[in-house]
Amino acid sequence: MVLSVPGMTCGHCEAAVTTEVSTLDGVSAVLVDLDAKTVTVTGTSLDRERIVAAIDEAGFDVG
Amino acid sequence: MSAEPATLDGAAVDLSVTGMTCAACATRIERHLNRSEGITASVNYATERARITIDPTLLREHGLDSVIDDCVATVIGVGYGASRSDHDDTTHSDRRLTDLRGRLVVAAVLGTPVLALSMISPLQFDGWQWVTLALALPVSTWSAWPFHNAMWRNLRHGQATMDTLVSVGVSAATLWSLWALLATDAGDIGMTMSMSLDGGDGTPHIYLEVASTVVAFILGGRYFEARAKRRAGEALRALLDLGVDQVTRREADGRLVEVDIADLGVGDEFLVRPGDRVATDGEVVEGTSEIDMSLLTGESLPVPVTVSDRVMGAAVNTTGLLVVRATAVGAATQLAQMARMVNEAQSGKAPVQRLADRVSAVFVPIVIALASVTIIAWMLIDGSVEKSFSAGVAVLIIACPCALGLATPTALLVGTGRGARLGILIRGPEVLEATRRVDTLVLDKTGTVTTGMMAVVEVRVSPGGDRDRLLSVAASVESGSTHPIARAITAATPEPIAGATEVIEHPGVGVEGTVDGRRILVGRARDTGVSPSWGRADVTVVEVSADGVVLGWIALADELKDSSLSAVTAARAAGLEPVLASGDRAEVVDEVADRLGIERRLAGVMPADKLTLVRDLSAEGRVVAMVGDGVNDAAALAAADLGLAMGSGTDVAIAAADITLVRDDLGAVVDAIRLSRRTLRTIRVNLFWAFGYNVAAIPLAMTGQLSPLVAGAAMGLSSVFVVSNSLRLRRFR
Repeated sequence: MVLSVPGMTCGHCEAAVTTEVSTLDGVSAVLVDLDAKTVTVTGTSLDRERIVAAIDEAGFDVG
Repeated sequence: MSAEPATLDGAAVDLSVTGMTCAACATRIERHLNRSEGITASVNYATERARITIDPTLLREHGLDSVIDDCVATVIGVGYGASRSDHDDTTHSDRRLTDLRGRLVVAAVLGTPVLALSMISPLQFDGWQWVTLALALPVSTWSAWPFHNAMWRNLRHGQATMDTLVSVGVSAATLWSLWALLATDAGDIGMTMSMSLDGGDGTPHIYLEVASTVVAFILGGRYFEARAKRRAGEALRALLDLGVDQVTRREADGRLVEVDIADLGVGDEFLVRPGDRVATDGEVVEGTSEIDMSLLTGESLPVPVTVSDRVMGAAVNTTGLLVVRATAVGAATQLAQMARMVNEAQSGKAPVQRLADRVSAVFVPIVIALASVTIIAWMLIDGSVEKSFSAGVAVLIIACPCALGLATPTALLVGTGRGARLGILIRGPEVLEATRRVDTLVLDKTGTVTTGMMAVVEVRVSPGGDRDRLLSVAASVESGSTHPIARAITAATPEPIAGATEVIEHPGVGVEGTVDGRRILVGRARDTGVSPSWGRADVTVVEVSADGVVLGWIALADELKDSSLSAVTAARAAGLEPVLASGDRAEVVDEVADRLGIERRLAGVMPADKLTLVRDLSAEGRVVAMVGDGVNDAAALAAADLGLAMGSGTDVAIAAADITLVRDDLGAVVDAIRLSRRTLRTIRVNLFWAFGYNVAAIPLAMTGQLSPLVAGAAMGLSSVFVVSNSLRLRRFR
């Protein structure tokens, strides 16, 4: 699942998003591309709602 | 910034936040904080502050401290650092100071009897050595803890500093003595320590007094240095204090509302009354006035502004009422950018490795190698394990000089004290050590090489007129104004000055009033072709007319200080190349530079340009001292290798600089630089002697000839030498 998160600007942001999303059940890998401002989540039975909520928890809007 | 009193209306508190790397971090923290009920937070990335507004209900229920603690915990939970910003810096350095003092007191109180018992044989009662052990152990463990701790930290990075040397020396002395007392006859009741040079009675020496004394001396040096250290962040605080908290906003329907500055948005229109600071950057939409832009340009002469002119937040409005439309707020304003610049310049200054540490980095490995060689050599030649280690340990012990702890602090203390007597206040004594040989001197113009005040330099009257009469009528009209030009004219006019009636100020144009029935206008000289040429570019000319007839002209200028020319000459003689930089017009800067004979000059510079100038000069390989007095000089002062603020300057400049000059003449600048050079040279000589005496004793230690007497003498002599060498700085002139 690929989500666009325009607010991410630096390694700190990347780490925050990765940490929050990784805690979710079923998530096996989180890949952040700072240049493209995207977050790629891989895993089983992924729930978009919960991932968006986790990214929000990290302080970012999914755009 | 402190917490506002917790009233029923709630409270606002500032937290300082560390670890933010971008604007998104600030947003993130803000979101997390705002999630708590009753908390409204705004986080500023540039100033690294979070302003927390607490709802009155929450405040009543939980109390201020607990709410703040929760907020701090939230920020930390998100992965950043936070603390109450009102005493953040202070508590940190205070705690360090208290800690050092505790360790120093213990080392001094316990170390003194250890030294006395060890050095003075008649005092050595039965079992004395066990008493010294009991006294010395807390010193070499607890008091010396900062050294041991630093040693381990450095070891992990494969580095050796002065701390390593101290830690190794103290540990070697203590462990050796402990072993000697426990395992050999040194521990026998009734043993006395021979102070003879041969030390050949077969009893291993104990070196507890060496360990205690070294710890006490070096802690003492550290303590005095820490006490003199400057507190970071003062410049920033002074700068932020220039900001405005409340602003009168004009709503679309014309109503005027008092709002918090945080509630002002881009595009909003707000009022700036005479005497007020402009709330934020904007464009004038109504009114005419003169604005004191000294913040940005360093020039104290107000600039006329009218509709569509840009004004900067924190500039002071002088005479007229203005309505301004905000073009930037918060972190985007020029003031916030300046704060960021000062902050970056201050934190960007890489800490220079201390001289003592630089020497230690080379010295420590050599000493350890020598100690190993000593042990191996003794093993091969003599075969006695005890003798081998005795000699090896002695090398480690003697290599750690007491005077090392005194070399830098005593020179800095004496240098700082001597400076104070000469009107040179050194805020961060460590800069004296860190600054390499300064070769370039950047001078701000206004207030630094000039007086910073307008003064009447020449008066020309129309044919048939009278000079005194002209000044007198002009002064009558101007006497009620605080404008720098008005003050200069009033000051140049002999008393008494008759008051004018019906005085009207025309912002940006001049002042009008009735004197003896005639309507007098004192205003900026219009270019009518009749105004005379003055032969110099740095004058401001006002024209005085009565009922429309020109009476004459008064020329005013910000004159050079008497001391400036001789100081620039002295700077050259001391090998410094002067550079003049100013926010003023090119003609004015050229005039001043020519008169001082300064080749390199820069006019019309904004604060960022001054910073760039300093950085460029540094990039050329120069070591730059910067002298300034204005808010606009702050970032450059902080970035320079040595920042010097004139004592008459703004708080921001003084807080950003390393040295403040009480005397208002430029001669003090050259004295300050010479003093810093002398202090640095003193530190170098001190270090040489601190190591010198002990290095001389290393061969003795290696050959097994070292006795506590020699160790004590080496340390005592080098300490005495170092202290008296530092004291020579008192005669600096």
